[in-house]
Amino acid sequence: MVKPVIHVDQLTKTYVIPEREGGLKAALRSLVHRKWRDVKAVDHISFDIQPGEVVGFLGPNGAGKTTTLKMLSGLLHPTSGEVTVLGFVPQRRDKAYLKQITLVMGNRNQLQWDLPALDSFELNRAIYRIPTRQFRETRDEFIELLDLQDLVRKPVRNLSLGERMKVEIAASLLQRPQVLYLDEPTIGLDVTMQARIRSFIAEYNRRHDATVLLTSHYMADVEALCKRVIVIHHGHLLFDGSLADLVARFAAFKTIGVTLEDTSADLSRYGEIMSVDSDRVTLRVPKTETPRVTARLLADLPVMDLTVEEPLIEDVIRQVFAQEAPLEELPA
Amino acid sequence: MHEIRLAWLFFRVGAMNELQYRVNFFLQLFQSVLAIGTGLVSLWLIFSHTSSLHGWNPAQLLIVMGVFTLMGGVIQTTIQPNMTQLIEDVQQGTFDYVLTKPADAQVLASIRRVEIWQSVDVLTGVIIVLIGVLRLQSQFGIGRAVTFLLMLVVGALLIYCFWMILTTLAFWVTSMWHLVELFAGVYNAGRYPVGIYPGWLRYGLTVVVPVAFAVTVPSEALTGRLDTKTVLGAVALSLILVTITRVFWSFGLRRYSGASA
Repeated sequence: MVKPVIHVDQLTKTYVIPEREGGLKAALRSLVHRKWRDVKAVDHISFDIQPGEVVGFLGPNGAGKTTTLKMLSGLLHPTSGEVTVLGFVPQRRDKAYLKQITLVMGNRNQLQWDLPALDSFELNRAIYRIPTRQFRETRDEFIELLDLQDLVRKPVRNLSLGERMKVEIAASLLQRPQVLYLDEPTIGLDVTMQARIRSFIAEYNRRHDATVLLTSHYMADVEALCKRVIVIHHGHLLFDGSLADLVARFAAFKTIGVTLEDTSADLSRYGEIMSVDSDRVTLRVPKTETPRVTARLLADLPVMDLTVEEPLIEDVIRQVFAQEAPLEELPA
Repeated sequence: MHEIRLAWLFFRVGAMNELQYRVNFFLQLFQSVLAIGTGLVSLWLIFSHTSSLHGWNPAQLLIVMGVFTLMGGVIQTTIQPNMTQLIEDVQQGTFDYVLTKPADAQVLASIRRVEIWQSVDVLTGVIIVLIGVLRLQSQFGIGRAVTFLLMLVVGALLIYCFWMILTTLAFWVTSMWHLVELFAGVYNAGRYPVGIYPGWLRYGLTVVVPVAFAVTVPSEALTGRLDTKTVLGAVALSLILVTITRVFWSFGLRRYSGASA
């Protein structure tokens, strides 16, 4: 078996944060006597990622995704547990390690604001000591792949959010990193731009066999890029496997779409009515009930058309996050 | 050395950044002229009553004013913008980008910004110093010039360390915005030789905020008042402070990444 690129074992991060109630009185009291509270942002998480894998890292806000990414990129020291990436311990911040990774945060900008991106590219070339030839090759490759010809010559401040993100990603990958940490790279972008960035990441992964760990709130990103997803919630690892398995395991409902000859019939006794669109009704039915309900519908009513569908991944994910229970207590 | 090459590149990019705002040049020029004008007026006022201020004659005080302007320019061109940027980055989390780069974080944090128009002050400072030197009625040798340059570098280093240590506090206390105004106020005291101030203030301007080393000591070097002991002391002090700054910075970084928690 190939040695994993990223090895995470029982990783835990505890923040110690000041605790106080609202109001002036409490604020004054906390000046003198401050109470501290431990918050476990990441709680005994373990996983391995193989070379070339693109893994989606999912969880609601505050689940511990960014904290984990920060520990992987060497910004935060773990409270306990073990991390190795490419054979390095990230928190030591070896230059040899930092040269091989990149961290992109969708909501933060690192380009020179008033200058064309080409100047920022030059700065990164110097910082990463990229050989001139390799730099030009990579730069031109990215410019072509992302259609940046005109954008890299304009001051960054004049670019739209999506354009800026394209340039930002290009700048972050100039050193051709082996491991990519992408924290919501498509946040706030329109659908076309999201697709563009997505296909670029896929292309980079294919060409350079890079390992990608990606967080996103857009399931389209995850569906398009990630064969594997890791779901964390309240700092716990909830799920690690393929997207299809995630749906199979957590989707408690299916949707049944029915078209009837007679639209006056009341379908609420068959399941929860989600929408009624002229003569088509959409029902939400517990997964285990689906065969029975389908049979009853067909027997009882003049059905013209009937479909049974898996729920949207978005809905499944929302449902996963809605539950508080850690892994052990979930139905297998 | 790689770090020096990086610094030069950042200087270039910073200059290009600022060159787009030409209005700033004229604003800065105006401000510079105004500051020097008021400075000259106060010097004239002083010397219309006396021929020497605590042993400094007009030409020598002109040199002090020149060094004060020059050093102020250096601080505002490089040190201050980088430190405010650092405070801002720590507050907004963009400091992460500095830490994920395969370069020394302290160096990177200290060379990223250049406010090139502020260097108008450096230029006017140099001109005033030159005028002062020409009006000095004493012999002026290469030795003095070299000591002067050395003391300028030492002074700038000490000011840098002072700022850096205070800025590093941003890892604990995230709002450090008053630092700039506070420093500007104290630095203004440096427009006169610190010898004219009462003991406690002189002490503060030497030890607490190294304004004396930034302005008075280089001026003393140029006017031949400096003995070898002070020169060596200043160099030693700067080396010590650079080390302390480095240690404190690493300590702050550990705090930032939660290694100490």
